[in-house]
Amino acid sequence: MLIEVFGPGCMKCQTLEKHAKEAVAQTGGSHQVLKVSDYAAMVARGVLSTPALALDGQLKFQGKVASVDDIVALLKA
Amino acid sequence: MRETPAPWRFIQGGGWLLLALPLWVALYVLNHAVSEWLAFQVLGLTPKTHLGEAVAFLLYDTPKVLLLLSLVVFIVTFLQTFVSPTMVRDALAKRRAGLGNALASLFGIITPFCSCSAVPLFIGFLRAGVPLGVTFSFLVAAPMINEVALGMLFAMFGWRIALLYAGTGVAIAFTSGLILGRLRMEHHLEGWVQDALIAPALGELEEERMTFPDRLTLAVQGVQEIVGKVWPYILAGIAVGAFIHGYIPEAFMAGLLGKQNWYSVPLAVLIGIPLYANAAGVMPIVEALLGKGAALGSTLAFMMAVIGLSLPETIILRKVMRPRLIATFVGVVALGILLVGYLFNAIL
Repeated sequence: MLIEVFGPGCMKCQTLEKHAKEAVAQTGGSHQVLKVSDYAAMVARGVLSTPALALDGQLKFQGKVASVDDIVALLKA
Repeated sequence: MRETPAPWRFIQGGGWLLLALPLWVALYVLNHAVSEWLAFQVLGLTPKTHLGEAVAFLLYDTPKVLLLLSLVVFIVTFLQTFVSPTMVRDALAKRRAGLGNALASLFGIITPFCSCSAVPLFIGFLRAGVPLGVTFSFLVAAPMINEVALGMLFAMFGWRIALLYAGTGVAIAFTSGLILGRLRMEHHLEGWVQDALIAPALGELEEERMTFPDRLTLAVQGVQEIVGKVWPYILAGIAVGAFIHGYIPEAFMAGLLGKQNWYSVPLAVLIGIPLYANAAGVMPIVEALLGKGAALGSTLAFMMAVIGLSLPETIILRKVMRPRLIATFVGVVALGILLVGYLFNAIL
């Protein structure tokens, strides 16, 4: 699955990207983490506050740093 | 799996607050005596000397500000779990100028806002049909009326100054949004923003439902995160405050930032804009300035310029606004802060 992490590059966004990668490492499987820092792309996805995370194009979290467990649960669902 | 025992569930569900609160109160009450004892007994400094007073201020203010900040952030983050940008956006969509500006300014007080979210939020609001002027009211109010600063002002200087800060902040946000809306500057948005505004919207995110323990957990995380992040700013602010407190003569400060000095307000704003301090970091400076006879209007203007108009945020907003719009934005807000400074210097 494709995990997109949206954020212009602030601390929180970097933490979220790290959490996403850790979650992928924990679950195994073929997931890809993509960091999106382009504002136009964020807006097109309907992101209102950063950091945000989308799974296969579907926005799942925004305005918060989701924990590794949160993202693992998302991947397993 | 074994079931969690009832007392443990109670502790996790919020019962720990009953233990944490008395501890907090005890630390706060003991702080003054402990700091004096450390400065004048343990370190052997003499009271009423420059160094003695500066060190005592440092030892007293550091635990005090950190304790107050933790409590304020806890309460604020807890309250914020009830508001989200999506909610605010939907409440403001299609509102007319006037009422819309007023609502946007009020929402700006409590909404969690990080300047790195400014751009997506700005465009998201416009896309949902929130008028440009109303969006500006929110964009001015959200950083300027910082919810943590408000709580800290209340805790350190009482409700009158806190109310003045919130009231004038709302007034500035309301008026500048109204003016910016009237100027019809939509075509001064960057081209890609104008394109994004007409692009079709994608799926929306469902808001998650939260339980009481969930909200408490988020509040604790907020304290860890914010206090963990801002303590260097606070220490820097306290160091500056301690220096002012110990070394700057009262006559000098009263002359520079006193109310009879006509340029004290613009001076305060000019110093404040390029300074990027955290809301909590400014508090010790504000405390020391007021203690040394700086006028309240000038001090409020300084604080608002530091928190509300910051260089990094302006640079971020430049990505969506053309130079004329951003100059108008900064100009209108700075003008509002100046007026507030003069007003309070005149009436208080």
